[in-house]
Amino acid sequence: MRHDPPRVAMRLLGLRLPPEWRDFVLGDLEEEFRSRALTSPSAARRWLWRQTLRGLARPLRPSAAGSAATGGPSANAARRDPFMLTVLSDLRHALRVFHRAPSFALAVVAVLALGIGANTAIFSVVNAVLLRPLPFDEPDRLVRLYHTPPQTTFPGMATFSLSPANFLDWQRDSRSFDAMAAYRFRGFTLTGGGAAEALRATVVGPDFFTIVRAQAALGRTFVPDEHVPARARVVVISDAFWKSHLGAAPDAPGRTLTLDGEAYTIVGVMPARFSVAAWAATAPPLWVPLAWTDKDRAVRENHNFQAIARLKSGVPLGQAVSELEVISQRLERAYPAENAGWGGTAIPLIEVIVGDIRTSLVMLLAAVALVLLIACANVGNLILARAMGRRKEIAIRAALGAGRRRVFQYLLMESLVLAAAGGIAGLLLARAAIGAGASLVASQIPRAAEASVDARVLLFVLAASVLTGILAGAVPAMRAGRTDLNDTLKEGGRSDSAGAGTLTRRALIVAEVALSLMLLMGAGVMLRSLHALRHVDAGFNARNVLKLDIDLPDTRYGMPAQRRAFYDTLLERLRALPGVQDAGVVDTLPVTGGGSVQPMVVEGRAELRPSEQPTVSVRFAGADYTRTMEIPMVRGRDFASGDIQALLVSESAARLLWGSEDPIGRRAILPLLSRTKAVDVVGIVGDVREQLAQKAPPTVYLYSRDLPFGGLSVAIRTTSEPAQLTRSAVAAVHAIDPQLPVQEVRTMDAVVEETLVSERFRALLLEIFAATALTLASVGIYSVLSYLVRGRRREIGIRTALGAATGDVLRLVLIEGLKPTLVGIALGAAGALAAARLLEQLVYGVKASDPLTLGVVAVTLLLVSIAASLLPAWRAARLDPVTVLRD
Amino acid sequence: MWFKSKPGALGDFEQLVLFGVLRLGDEAYGAAIRQEIHARSGRDVSINAVYTTLDRLEGKGLLRSWEGAPTAQRGGRRRKFYALRPPGITALRHAYHAVRSMADGLEGQLEPK
Repeated sequence: MRHDPPRVAMRLLGLRLPPEWRDFVLGDLEEEFRSRALTSPSAARRWLWRQTLRGLARPLRPSAAGSAATGGPSANAARRDPFMLTVLSDLRHALRVFHRAPSFALAVVAVLALGIGANTAIFSVVNAVLLRPLPFDEPDRLVRLYHTPPQTTFPGMATFSLSPANFLDWQRDSRSFDAMAAYRFRGFTLTGGGAAEALRATVVGPDFFTIVRAQAALGRTFVPDEHVPARARVVVISDAFWKSHLGAAPDAPGRTLTLDGEAYTIVGVMPARFSVAAWAATAPPLWVPLAWTDKDRAVRENHNFQAIARLKSGVPLGQAVSELEVISQRLERAYPAENAGWGGTAIPLIEVIVGDIRTSLVMLLAAVALVLLIACANVGNLILARAMGRRKEIAIRAALGAGRRRVFQYLLMESLVLAAAGGIAGLLLARAAIGAGASLVASQIPRAAEASVDARVLLFVLAASVLTGILAGAVPAMRAGRTDLNDTLKEGGRSDSAGAGTLTRRALIVAEVALSLMLLMGAGVMLRSLHALRHVDAGFNARNVLKLDIDLPDTRYGMPAQRRAFYDTLLERLRALPGVQDAGVVDTLPVTGGGSVQPMVVEGRAELRPSEQPTVSVRFAGADYTRTMEIPMVRGRDFASGDIQALLVSESAARLLWGSEDPIGRRAILPLLSRTKAVDVVGIVGDVREQLAQKAPPTVYLYSRDLPFGGLSVAIRTTSEPAQLTRSAVAAVHAIDPQLPVQEVRTMDAVVEETLVSERFRALLLEIFAATALTLASVGIYSVLSYLVRGRRREIGIRTALGAATGDVLRLVLIEGLKPTLVGIALGAAGALAAARLLEQLVYGVKASDPLTLGVVAVTLLLVSIAASLLPAWRAARLDPVTVLRD
Repeated sequence: MWFKSKPGALGDFEQLVLFGVLRLGDEAYGAAIRQEIHARSGRDVSINAVYTTLDRLEGKGLLRSWEGAPTAQRGGRRRKFYALRPPGITALRHAYHAVRSMADGLEGQLEPK
């Protein structure tokens, strides 16, 4: 294998070489590198970097005489750039800090590595989630199409799925798009290879693959005539499925899969990069063609399809949106019964995927930047202490003619070198953190699994390091550059005197305390919000409930009676299990997301236009479901075995539809299910939240002896730990039908907790940041006070000699520390209140400016700062006046 | 300036470089000299230091130099070769004699025991 010398090193060195010497020096290095690389490439690379660094620190300086003798290189070549020369000499001096003050350098680098590392880790997530484009060709032209539903019936809902007829009209009439494709999701049961397996598939319309510009890695995607019902038994599989189920067989296209009991021919295998986990349409293992019948195409009222489209090149989003609006208005006039109030819109795919996470990430980035600022303040403090200790050296430099700018530049270079080292260490830390954390975060933040260190992250580290170096170094450098030459030299051998840089130091404490307070406040509010969410009354009792999902395939359970029989038998057997108190079925459990929303009409009243007709969440439920979930029965009765169809309505649904009248005994119509059949309302139940942080939607529970579909969730209330029942519950299903896959077996507690992941994640990160901040701030307070006490040893000694008691000295030092802390708390409180606006939309059940939390946080900081001051104060009190004054 | 053109006493590193040039004969160029010094004296110096010294010695009239042809091994770059001029030989001889006469009779104390 051929090894080339690191290009960056050669480029850097080349920059610092006089042009007429470049060939010889770089050639020599490359030559020696190659001969060294034969034995060990990595050692050769290390060697070359060492040579480069030395070459940069001590550039080649051709002598004037030498040049004259050869008539070659110009004598002034190396001196033409005095600024660079002084920078390089400063760099050389700065590099020596690692030798001269290793513990100082280590402390600074460690603090900065923490700060920069945390920032880099968060930034790389932000980079992956918000900044990096999707892995599709020209992803910014991909948009999702939606209906905008009438706000009177769907209050607060911004977007809605499409109906086939409306989609087809949009497709026919719009001119802004290259193409658009409808898709939806469905489940399949895969059989024929061991245990039955439940698989998700995306059912994709014609042009779907063309729009995302994806081609099969093996075989092909669908051809147009496969989108007709008779020809649609074909499937495209994902790379992962190909590897896991077909052993990556090259002859996979042409084989068949048994899905829901029918043979589907594999026509293609998609490449791995096509499977973007964050976009549901590309995440499943299977894609099958969407094949609408004429009857399907005519459906205008039922909105069940998603759509993706590619904007024509050069067409701005706004133009496409207004075109969809115009078409929708025309459709409203043409089909007022179905379409009144339904508009249309297009949203960039990346917006849809990233969604609400942006606020969260921006907040975290801001929080982690505060940590870095605190780290800067700490490091600035350390550098200042060092600079003050070196005032004599600096004064001598000044006496020898170094201007203030020169001293400033020299000290700044030192902090830049330290920051660069901190940046490198931080980058390594961040890489480790990303490796460990990305998979943890992946389920909570779309695309977070793609987080990695790329060019943009490197650029971020560079910028963060330089900025940190300047921030941390500028104040001390300026302060040191101002040192009065005369005074300093006159002070003779006496080291630190009180007052030198004291103001700057106090300002640094103020900054640290203020920033820490803001972070602590954020963490505190997040924790309280999490607590509030965990204790919200969702309207049902999640404790001791086990749930599982079953989807009966149509091939074996085609008749409603077959489905009813299956679930009746299953519930009977489950209830007979020891430890089971109750069991019930429903199509969508609370807080799991999704579920049907439909208009509902009270019998005897006229059906309003869709835009004005009230809608309710409709849940298909069995008898005992509400009792199993402990949803309170307010009035009336539960479903009974004699019912053919019956309704339970939630309190808010009762209010919405009947106002103050009593709904029990009345009848209602769900037009999307049947325009003719009115169903009896038999009882009123309590409201149940669909999302913990949101008000319960009006809900009705529909019991139907003829189950219209086979996919239901089973809830089982147990008398002890529900997870223990997992195995026997699954066994009960398989005892009836061994071919049936059982999915998503989990406790309801776990399901609820899962909905809190992003809150938990935010709270956890903020806690870590706040703890880091608190630690850094207390270290900062401690070191500043120690320094001040050291400087005031004489004064304290004299006080003690004159009769000051231990308590007096303690108080003196403690107050010294408390003053800047109090100022910091005041400033921090103001900052926290200002930042509360950003936080407000991320918290629930507590105000982001909650005064109680603010108070607790302020007191915590005060106590921490007292604790940090105690040791220096104690040392001061213990000073022996005799020793001190003799010194 | 005339008073500076007179070659003065050689510095320690200058001596090493001149010995390297002498030893390598026709093959005396930067990398080879650097490696020779490293191998024999144990001093791992930077290539820049070698060239700075070579250039200074050439300026003092002790060395002459010429350029070689580009080679692939060097990424298509040229070599710069050096050879001693008579004053260089004289200066090196003086330096060597000076060291040797100063060390005369002390070998016993200088050898590791």
